[in-house]
Amino acid sequence: MDAGLALMIASLSKAVTAGVYRSAVAAAVAATVLGGCASSGDTGAAEVWDPIETPNRFVFAINRTVDMIAIRPVAVLYRDWVPEPAQKSVRNLLDNLGEPVTAINEVFQGDPSRAATTMARFFVNSTLGLAGLFDVATSFGMPRTKEDAGQTIGMWAGKGVEPENGGFYLVLPLVGPSNARDATGLMIDYAIDPFQILPIAFNWDWWWFSVPRFGLTVVDARSRTMFALDDLEKNSVDYYAALRSAYTQNRAELIRAKREKANTQSELERRDNLALVR
Amino acid sequence: MPLLASRRVLLGLVAAGTVTLLALPVASPAWAADPAADLVSSTAAEAIQIVKANPPGPARQAAIQRVLQTKFDLAYMGQSSLGANWNKTNEAQRARFLKAVETAEARAYSERFGQYEGQTLTVGKVTPRANGVFIVESKLNQTNGQPVKLEWEVRDAGRGLRITDVKIEGVSMVMTRRSDFNSYIQNNGGTVEPLINELEARAAR
Repeated sequence: MDAGLALMIASLSKAVTAGVYRSAVAAAVAATVLGGCASSGDTGAAEVWDPIETPNRFVFAINRTVDMIAIRPVAVLYRDWVPEPAQKSVRNLLDNLGEPVTAINEVFQGDPSRAATTMARFFVNSTLGLAGLFDVATSFGMPRTKEDAGQTIGMWAGKGVEPENGGFYLVLPLVGPSNARDATGLMIDYAIDPFQILPIAFNWDWWWFSVPRFGLTVVDARSRTMFALDDLEKNSVDYYAALRSAYTQNRAELIRAKREKANTQSELERRDNLALVR
Repeated sequence: MPLLASRRVLLGLVAAGTVTLLALPVASPAWAADPAADLVSSTAAEAIQIVKANPPGPARQAAIQRVLQTKFDLAYMGQSSLGANWNKTNEAQRARFLKAVETAEARAYSERFGQYEGQTLTVGKVTPRANGVFIVESKLNQTNGQPVKLEWEVRDAGRGLRITDVKIEGVSMVMTRRSDFNSYIQNNGGTVEPLINELEARAAR
C-alpha cells in the first residue's frame, strides 16, 4: 500500500511537473507570438500583454488611494521644503547603496570593465564622498550607470523576444507598474543586494538602517516622478492604460540599448558592409 | 503610486513629463544642413520664444496651437493614435476627433511649463529610415539634473516635412495615446463616439 501511495504521488508530481512545464512553454510561446506582433508597427510596441488586467486594476486603485492619502503629500512637502542640495545628497546616498547591485548586473550583462568602474565609483564615493552623500566619482570621469536584473534578463531573453515583451503586465502593491520579467528582476536584485544581506548577517538594527533607507527611497522616488505622473494622469482618458504603455516602452528602450551594444556580430557585419561600400 | 520601481524607470517617467518640445532653445550647427534636423531646431526655437513671451493662459495656448498646426502633422498623429479604430469612424467623427485632440495637445503643452528654466536642446544624429521617415536624435539639457533623451520622428505624409511623433526616453507620445485611447474605447462599448465626447468635454472645460 505504501508503495502504491508512493507511486501515486510520484506519478501525480510527474503530471504536475509536466503540466507546469507545458504551461510554461505555452506562456513562452504566447509571449513570443505577442512580442512578434508588437514589432510590426513603426513606433514599436502594440498593446501590452495584460491577461490579469482586472486584478491589476484593483491593485492600481489601492496604490492610488494609498498614494493620495499618505505618500504623495509627504513627497510634495519633501520636494517643496527640503533644500535642493539636501535632496541631491539623499539621492546620492541611495544611489551609492545601489551600486553593488548595478555592478553585479553589469558582470552578468557581460561588461566586467563597466562593473569595475561602478565598484570604483562605490569605493570613491563611500570614502571621499562621505558615505555617498557626494558624487565625487562623476567629476573624476566615472559617470554613473544604473542596471537592474530585469534589464539583464531582457538583454539575454533572445532574439525572438522583443524588449517590449516582458511577460504579462503586473501592478505590484506599492511598487506600481511591472511585469513578469521586471518583478523577477526585482526579487533577484533584492536577494543579491549586500545592503539587504549585511543587516541580516550582522544583525544590524533594522530600525536604524533598513527602515530609513526604505522610507527615503519611497519619498525620493515619488518626488521625482511627481511631475511626469501628474502630467500623464491629467492628459490621459485611461490613466492605467497610459501608464502601462509608458512603462513598457521605457523599459524596452533601456533593454534595446543594452542589446544593441552587446551585439558585436551585427556591429561587425555593419562594418563589413561599410567596407564593401567603400 | 509607482514607488520603488527601478530608478531608471522612474527617471524615464520623470523625463516623460519634465520634457516637452516646449522648453527647448536650440544649439545645433553640426546638423543644420539637414531639413529634418532644421525642422526640429526651428520648432524648438519657436516654442521657447512663446514660453518666454507669454505667461500660461489663452494667448500662450493659441500660439502653441499654431506651432502644432504648422510644424506637426496632427492629422497623421491623430489617425495613428486611433490605430485600427480609425476605420470605425466616419468623416464627421474624424473631424471632431482631430479638433478635440488638437485643443487637448495645445492645452497640455502650454500648461506643462510655468516659465522658462534655461533648458537647451542639442540636435544630434539624423537617421533616414524606410518609407521616408527621419529619426532625429536630440538631448534636452537641463540646468539641474540629467539630460533627457528626445527622439523626433519626422516624415512627409503629403503635407510637407512634419513632426509625427516625439519619443521621450523611449516613450512615444503617439504610442502612449494609442494605448490610452484604445483601452478607453474597449471599456466603453467598443465604439469611438464616447471617446470623442470625452475629449470634446475636456476641450470645452
